[in-house]
Amino acid sequence: MEIKKISRIAMLLALSVVLNILESFMPLFNGIIPGFKLGLANIVILLVIYIYSFKDALLISLLRVFLVGILRTGLFSMSFFFSLGGAIISVIVMYLAKKFTKLSIIGVSIMGSISHTLGQIIVAIIFYNINMVYYMAWALILALPTGILVGYLTKEIKKTLDLSIKW
Amino acid sequence: MNKSDLKLIIVIILIAIIILFMVAIFNNNSNKKALIYYDNDLVLTIDLTEKEKKEYFVDGYNGVVKIITEDGKIKVDEEESPLHLCSKQGFIDKTYETIVCLPNKIVIKIVSSKTNDLDTILR
Repeated sequence: MEIKKISRIAMLLALSVVLNILESFMPLFNGIIPGFKLGLANIVILLVIYIYSFKDALLISLLRVFLVGILRTGLFSMSFFFSLGGAIISVIVMYLAKKFTKLSIIGVSIMGSISHTLGQIIVAIIFYNINMVYYMAWALILALPTGILVGYLTKEIKKTLDLSIKW
Repeated sequence: MNKSDLKLIIVIILIAIIILFMVAIFNNNSNKKALIYYDNDLVLTIDLTEKEKKEYFVDGYNGVVKIITEDGKIKVDEEESPLHLCSKQGFIDKTYETIVCLPNKIVIKIVSSKTNDLDTILR
């Protein structure tokens, strides 16, 4: 990796960690749907998938989960594994959606949002044996507005960045 | 947003409606029980058929968790955690609904005896 790319990826990683911590200060629909978040950190991951590659996105996503784990939730705690499952699956699904479907950046973002919740539910079922079928329906519906918002923001940010930065 | 995005959105809404519909079908009010798990171990079983208000106390990871049942519904009333997500969730009363207290490692599930029968038949 050339130095320019390393420093850009480091900056993007820092950005995703900050967004991740920032949004944990603003719980939405607190209590009605537990754990519902905007997923702002996904802006960075989505951007990296479009600008760089799947590998870089996976790298940033994993490092983000570890860093947020160290800084906030505690490494290898229950919520750490939830984030890990969600992060890995959402990067893979977003990459596949980008490569093999005609979805625009907004559609890819919605897929990422859904698969992030799906990953967490899979972890919950496999490791903690919690039945969350009921939760899934609401997660699917809520993934739509957040996915569209994140996708739209990413699209606009990418448009602006494409003008000023040569990737 | 293009055409395939719209198709995706419609499919997602349909799947969500189907899931909610199925949960409504499988939800039944006979012999409802609440199972309370601490760190994956069953610590308490509460019969939810009673109407009157009752209080239960379970040891969580951060301290005592106070659980209230009333009129076939169950909620976490007081607990020690940074965000108090599970006490803010309020009452749940349907089978398949869960309350999860990650900081306290407490999970509350509602089951009914009928659901268990169905599970064995399907297996």
